[in-house]
Amino acid sequence: MDFLEPRRQHPLGVLILSAQFLWRFSQQAWPILIGVTIGGNALRNALLAGAVFLVLTGVYALLYYLRFQYRVEGEVLIVEKGVVRRERLQVPFERIQSIQLFEGPIQQAFGLTGLKVDTAGSSGSELQLVAIRKEAADALQSLLRRQGRAGSKEFGDGNTGTDADAQPSESAGSPASDPPSETPLVSLTLTALLKVGLSQNHLRNAFAGFALLSYIIGNRPEAITSWLDGVPQLLAPLVGVVLLLLILPGILLFLMSGVFVSIFTAFLRYYRLRSSIGKDGLHAEMGLLRRNTFQVPFPRIHLTVWRSNWIRRRLGFETLEVRQAQAQSGTTAGVRVMLPAMEPEQRAIFEGAVYPDLSSDPLQQVRPVRRLRWLLWVVASVPAVLAWAFWGHWSAAIFNVTWLGFTGWTTARRFASLRMTVHKDTVVIEKGWVWRRRILLRMAQIQGIEWERMVLLERRSIGHLVFHTAAGARRFSYITRREGQALRDLTMNQHHAGSSRA
Amino acid sequence: MKVPSNPEIDLSSVPALGDLEFTGVSERYRTMRLLQWSVVQAILSLAILSPVIVRRWVPDLELPEEFEIGIWWIPLAIQGALGGLWLFEEWLGFPRRGYVVRDRDITYRTGWFSRSTTTVPYGQVQHLELTQGLLSRLFGLKHLKLFTAGGSGNLRIAGLAEEDAEVLRSVLDSRTGNG
Repeated sequence: MDFLEPRRQHPLGVLILSAQFLWRFSQQAWPILIGVTIGGNALRNALLAGAVFLVLTGVYALLYYLRFQYRVEGEVLIVEKGVVRRERLQVPFERIQSIQLFEGPIQQAFGLTGLKVDTAGSSGSELQLVAIRKEAADALQSLLRRQGRAGSKEFGDGNTGTDADAQPSESAGSPASDPPSETPLVSLTLTALLKVGLSQNHLRNAFAGFALLSYIIGNRPEAITSWLDGVPQLLAPLVGVVLLLLILPGILLFLMSGVFVSIFTAFLRYYRLRSSIGKDGLHAEMGLLRRNTFQVPFPRIHLTVWRSNWIRRRLGFETLEVRQAQAQSGTTAGVRVMLPAMEPEQRAIFEGAVYPDLSSDPLQQVRPVRRLRWLLWVVASVPAVLAWAFWGHWSAAIFNVTWLGFTGWTTARRFASLRMTVHKDTVVIEKGWVWRRRILLRMAQIQGIEWERMVLLERRSIGHLVFHTAAGARRFSYITRREGQALRDLTMNQHHAGSSRA
Repeated sequence: MKVPSNPEIDLSSVPALGDLEFTGVSERYRTMRLLQWSVVQAILSLAILSPVIVRRWVPDLELPEEFEIGIWWIPLAIQGALGGLWLFEEWLGFPRRGYVVRDRDITYRTGWFSRSTTTVPYGQVQHLELTQGLLSRLFGLKHLKLFTAGGSGNLRIAGLAEEDAEVLRSVLDSRTGNG
């Protein structure tokens, strides 16, 4: 299948585009729709306005569909689009940062696929083909990928400089017809999915659900007040008592809803998750309503973060987060692939493929200065000071002693968890005690390194080291100048060594 | 699978940045920044003092009661303190502005209160930008901006003399492969 002739998307794309535009326009046009309903005959006006809105959106989607054409010319993907203002986008293959396939409910029903191309350009430009046939998507994807890889080899140190650290096994260059040998990674069964849902941060999800609920209620406050008006005067104290009694079940309900939201979002995001690791990249597909397919070549992985909380570690799970380059503006975060429920052996497979130097002994290990521990404790003891100042009762002393003891213990644990390990090509930053994070970045991919400190810290020869990567900055704070600068020099050295090797 | 060569690294022989001399930016840039400082301070002072000035010129003007109390010196004092801090930062921070060009990377140092030293390897520079505003044209200065992928490592070297900026740009152009 070639793409030399200009093509349109699949006709059903009109439907999907309509849905997308409907969502986008209704976010902006709702004041108009509400405005129409003011005055007599509100219902009729609203229906009329809604119908007009629907028809206009449909017509716009149809025009957009008719005027959207894509083709491949040489090593450039060309898209012409725009209803009023015509646009011609040219995406050279070697600029493509990531290709992502997605299938919403409509696409799934008709066996279609959407394809999203991200270039991480300065305008954060990304390109979407919302509906093409599966075969076409596969053909287009392999075309973009194969030639993109050939291109990046040719222009090895041009704009693809970020990919300088290609894997040695990849630079051997396998012909694309060769089926890559894939090692399976996580595949979530229903129970595992349930475990993932149960081990999420319920409190945060409860707040998210609560925010949604209060947004819905907040939009119709008259519903509650009118209900309260209906209660007879005599029964009012009773209602108060009942509400008071409802507080405890309310809290319980709140927490339960958090758990529910957790499980619900886990199903939406990770339903039927399948992932594998091949010769040249990570492959994953997941999702219930919207199925996303990711294919991340190893050199495009700019940052890897392992996250786990206390419950996940009990289950032997860790979440893998793989980040690709983000747009210049930094407003749109780069493509992020999350794989929950990675088990230790799967982590070993992943790290063996992407960061092979981790198996050798580290060159250097750095910990923050002890002063940080006291600083953390001082910050954590603010409530105790406040209690001392405003409580004015002997029980404040008990509170203070327990609080200081507790925070002393937790800050000690937090401080002990901070560690930076430097391997031959990779920097590993570990942070956190309950919520643990392990950040991996390759030195050859670093976009810049910064040694930063306030003047007061400079006096004490302390500073922070900031690693700027294409997927954002990561810092390791409060280290001595001697260690920090040695590490900076080593990083630059390894960076240059790594990029000249490729 | 090919096994990558894995030579031992002698940590003591890694070239260090700390020993290098930083090249300062143009002295004219100091004058320009001081000029900017004084213009901003003058405008702020005028804005704060405007009720007093107006009253001096138009003596029988009816003003709201708040202006009668004469607390205008409080915002003026705050402005003076902040402006003084800013001047202090300019004074001590300017000599710290500077850059080092090495074979494969460029380092820029800036700031007195909050100090930062950033190194960007040439291989990661996506494009360069030389800018010159109206004021900097009068002073014969140019600002060089280096863009890296993701934008978090972008570097802006402000206040280069025009000829230095061109030289630096051509050096970087040849190194970054933009030729």
